[in-house]
Amino acid sequence: MLNRRTFLGTAAAGIAASSLPFRAHAATPLTMQAAWINDAEFAGYFLAMDQGYYTEAGLNLEYLSGGPDVIPESTIIAGRADLALTTPDTTIKAIVEQGAPFKIIGAQYQKNPIGIVSLAKNPINTPQDLIGKTLAVPPVNVISVEAMLKMNGIEPGQVNIVPYAYDPTPLVKGEIDASLDFTTNVPFTIQQAGEEATSFLLYDFGYTIYNDTVVVTEQVLAEKRDLLVAWLRASRKGWEENLADPSVWPPKFADTYFKGTGRSIENELYFNAAQKPLMESPEGYFALTEDGIEKCLSALGEVGIVGNTDMFDTSLLAEV
Amino acid sequence: MTQPDGISLDGVCKTFAGRGRVVEALRDVTLSCPKGTFTAIIGPSGCGKSTVMRIALGLESLDAGAVRVAGEPPLEAARDGVTGVAFQDAALLPWRSVRRNIEVPLEVLGRKPDAAHVQAMIELVGLKGYENSLPGELSGGMRQRVAIARALVTHPQVLFMDEPFGALDQILRRQMNVELQRIWAETGSTALLVTHGIDEAVFLADRVVVMHAAPGRIVDVIDVPFDRPRKPPLFSDPAFHKVCDHVAEVLHGG
Amino acid sequence: MAAERRFAGLRNTLILLLLWEIIGQLGLVAGGALPPPSDILIRLWQDRGDYPGHILATLQASVAGFVIGNVVAVAAGVLFALSPPMLRLFRGINIAAFALPPIAIAPILALTLSGMAPRVTLAALGVYFVTMTATVIGIAQADSRAEDVVRAYGGSRWKVLRLVQFRGAVPSILAGLRVAAPNAVLGAILAEFGGGGRWGLGTYLLGSLGRGEPDRLWGIGLIATLIAGLSYAGFALLSRRLLGATKAVTLNAAVPTGKDDGGPLWARIGMALATVALPFVLWWALIKLSGAPAMIAKTPGDVFTYLFLAPSAETAQAKLLAALAQTLPITFIGMVAGLAFAFALAILSKLSPRFISGFMPVALITQTMPLVALTPLLVLILGRGTSLTLWITISVTFFPAFVTLAQGLALVPRSAEDLPRAYGASRWTELRMVTIPASLPYLFAATRLTVPRALLGVMIAEWLATGRGLGNLLNQSRGYLDYGMIWSVAAVSVILSVVFYQ
Repeated sequence: MLNRRTFLGTAAAGIAASSLPFRAHAATPLTMQAAWINDAEFAGYFLAMDQGYYTEAGLNLEYLSGGPDVIPESTIIAGRADLALTTPDTTIKAIVEQGAPFKIIGAQYQKNPIGIVSLAKNPINTPQDLIGKTLAVPPVNVISVEAMLKMNGIEPGQVNIVPYAYDPTPLVKGEIDASLDFTTNVPFTIQQAGEEATSFLLYDFGYTIYNDTVVVTEQVLAEKRDLLVAWLRASRKGWEENLADPSVWPPKFADTYFKGTGRSIENELYFNAAQKPLMESPEGYFALTEDGIEKCLSALGEVGIVGNTDMFDTSLLAEV
Repeated sequence: MTQPDGISLDGVCKTFAGRGRVVEALRDVTLSCPKGTFTAIIGPSGCGKSTVMRIALGLESLDAGAVRVAGEPPLEAARDGVTGVAFQDAALLPWRSVRRNIEVPLEVLGRKPDAAHVQAMIELVGLKGYENSLPGELSGGMRQRVAIARALVTHPQVLFMDEPFGALDQILRRQMNVELQRIWAETGSTALLVTHGIDEAVFLADRVVVMHAAPGRIVDVIDVPFDRPRKPPLFSDPAFHKVCDHVAEVLHGG
Repeated sequence: MAAERRFAGLRNTLILLLLWEIIGQLGLVAGGALPPPSDILIRLWQDRGDYPGHILATLQASVAGFVIGNVVAVAAGVLFALSPPMLRLFRGINIAAFALPPIAIAPILALTLSGMAPRVTLAALGVYFVTMTATVIGIAQADSRAEDVVRAYGGSRWKVLRLVQFRGAVPSILAGLRVAAPNAVLGAILAEFGGGGRWGLGTYLLGSLGRGEPDRLWGIGLIATLIAGLSYAGFALLSRRLLGATKAVTLNAAVPTGKDDGGPLWARIGMALATVALPFVLWWALIKLSGAPAMIAKTPGDVFTYLFLAPSAETAQAKLLAALAQTLPITFIGMVAGLAFAFALAILSKLSPRFISGFMPVALITQTMPLVALTPLLVLILGRGTSLTLWITISVTFFPAFVTLAQGLALVPRSAEDLPRAYGASRWTELRMVTIPASLPYLFAATRLTVPRALLGVMIAEWLATGRGLGNLLNQSRGYLDYGMIWSVAAVSVILSVVFYQ
């Protein structure tokens, strides 16, 4: 597996080298751990790899795919990656409760794309609609959902919460009424199954957190600060180019990064377009604004995760 | 007392501990087999006759007494390749051909098999043409003959046999007795045969050692006077039956 | 007769397939979530471009794990066969290796190892116990008379091992490998769930879970089943070819010499303590050797601190106990149900071999089909309640129990069965007088076999469907980076399995 990944990386570097002026100095290795399997959620990074933006910035980037059972934070604690894309709730919880030496240096999603997805024929458009319904939630996210319910004056006991295994079939078949999932992705899957989907973001109902926060350990921050700035710069460039027209890039990765995922390119195109408004910020991609950090911390405070602004380091973005 | 080339047991005692009780397997067993003689041990089940042989082979330790095989302690004699052995069951390795089974002792002793000699052994026991057969393809008598050939392949000075024909029927057994006598005569080795067949013991041996059980001990040693080579008609000779009856008397008597 | 039976098996399989097709086409089960076989095949064809990479990755990990696990297992088996004290000393480790619920171990491996290592390790773990046991048994059962021949010529322990015992153990080892091969494949797939990376059937399955396409899930499951089944068949064929010449020609009636057990009391107590302590020492040593950071990799001491000494110990204990209270009763019930089902099947196989030969292919599929793929379907059929957990538990427990029982029944001597029949007894009387009493000892053996599997089944159901108990706690702790709890759950589930096994 590692070989294959290295191979792809090398191949990508090869493409980059042929299309760009040759650079004499050796690139410094940097490893990133993604949060999920290869899909449009990471299209900006794929683009930056293919176009050689990391190489240009002096980085030899190794990209580790994630998955449902990959805990990105664990990878950086174990020293197998330098930076990871994480969910801020688990990261800040780990800092507070386990004393994990993490710093958040950027945020891919200004608005967390996670939301409540339901069928249009049995629509759930607000938290109030959930009362008396069955909602499937990944166990990890239960506290987030309960916090959102509380913010909207609903007792968690009023909603029947069951575990969610990232399979929309029970929703399509009507076994559950709604599920918590990426609103950028699942509605497309549901359409493919012949149903119309509707959704709302937890973010829009008070649970105002980031997602895919860029997290490093304090040690990496101290030792590889320049590389991280270079990574942010190259990644931002990749995302700008990708989202300039969301329909352009996903098809180009069909035979490389997206190969073997079992997902269609149409799905990635849907995803790419849907995530654009959630990522944009007046301060550019990955922005950590004072307001955004404040909102994120206060929402997490509602679920008992009490973080502070020291857990964020906005100085790297300032350098970009 | 000590015979440099034969087998000698002197005051051998052996007890087994098991299942909460102690069994006295052998009490003060003293036996001497001069070079080139054929000795048979006979006795009821559990009299320790097999134990005598296993001790002489070095397969069991002894509690008291001394054992010499060709003037050496049993294990040294075994390592020097002085002994040959055939067990009650042929105990062949089922995955090896006849030839490769016969070569086992040579392999254990680290000797290079002499193909001509192995072939000679195969022919000696009348298995020509079966060199490459597997044990599973042979009859019971043939397997036993492989075991005999295996016992002889090292040119042993001393040959041990523990009921080698115990699993065979009476007809086959007599045939094998005749053949064994022939083979033994050709090799000129000292032989010790453990058996529970009276006629077999009398037909083959120069002396029949009779043992009794609980504790295992030697009660009598009976000389067998018949000339060699002994022929099959001997089995129906009244003199033969007289010796057999005597052995049976000692065996069953007090 | 044999051809006739094979034909009946084929016919039954075809009937089942046809039934499945009709049910699938009409969408009778769970509103169409059970796709008909034709849809699965079409989907397989459409996805054919995706499979080679995934299959290759899974094969790589399984083959590597299979080889490593077996080399270790055979070496350990030889060591144990030669040295009974070592066997006693390693008893704790061996039982733990057998009882380890892979679901609890996978996240820990993913945390402490990197790259292919977690997959290879889990595959190797799946192989170790089976092959080790087969080796020990094979060597112990070697023909003691043939051993005597070698020893009588002054052959050393090593010569006896080389010339007689090891070769004699080959059929037993091969039988072990046959069972071990699918274990390696399933171990690798299970580790892929938690291991990350882009390739592997487990990865593919997870990536496809969110697609709402049951036909693909079934397709992946079928491919996994096929690989596991082929590996089983391959070794079955190999052992059949080799076995012919290896059977002892006559029955070995020699009783192995009684082992000198124990010695003084203090020595026996010392041995018992060492047996219990060794797994923990090994655990500690592996953590130290892996060099994983202390925050992730917990030693036994760390887990003890976490559960009993740390400020948060009370909360942790409460969570763990609450989870146990949910998991244990259902595990026990599931186990009993699984055993009862296996017992009924074993008896039925005696009464109606034909029915069983038709049923076996289906049973085999349930054994090699990754539960992760089946569970969503089962949820649609059975809901998320106790009955789902029970069904999953039965489905993972009945097969090994059935095999054990059936083997036991096959060993009943023909003559023992003929005796009641000779007096005109009916099938039922024969069953009551001979078959059932004869199989009871094997029921005991089967019970030991099923305990860890029952726990595994319950934890999978909890993890994927019911959101209760240990399985859910494990999953949630992973999400919260609560490493202390992850290790605690893993340790508790292993200890539970071992305790039940004893």
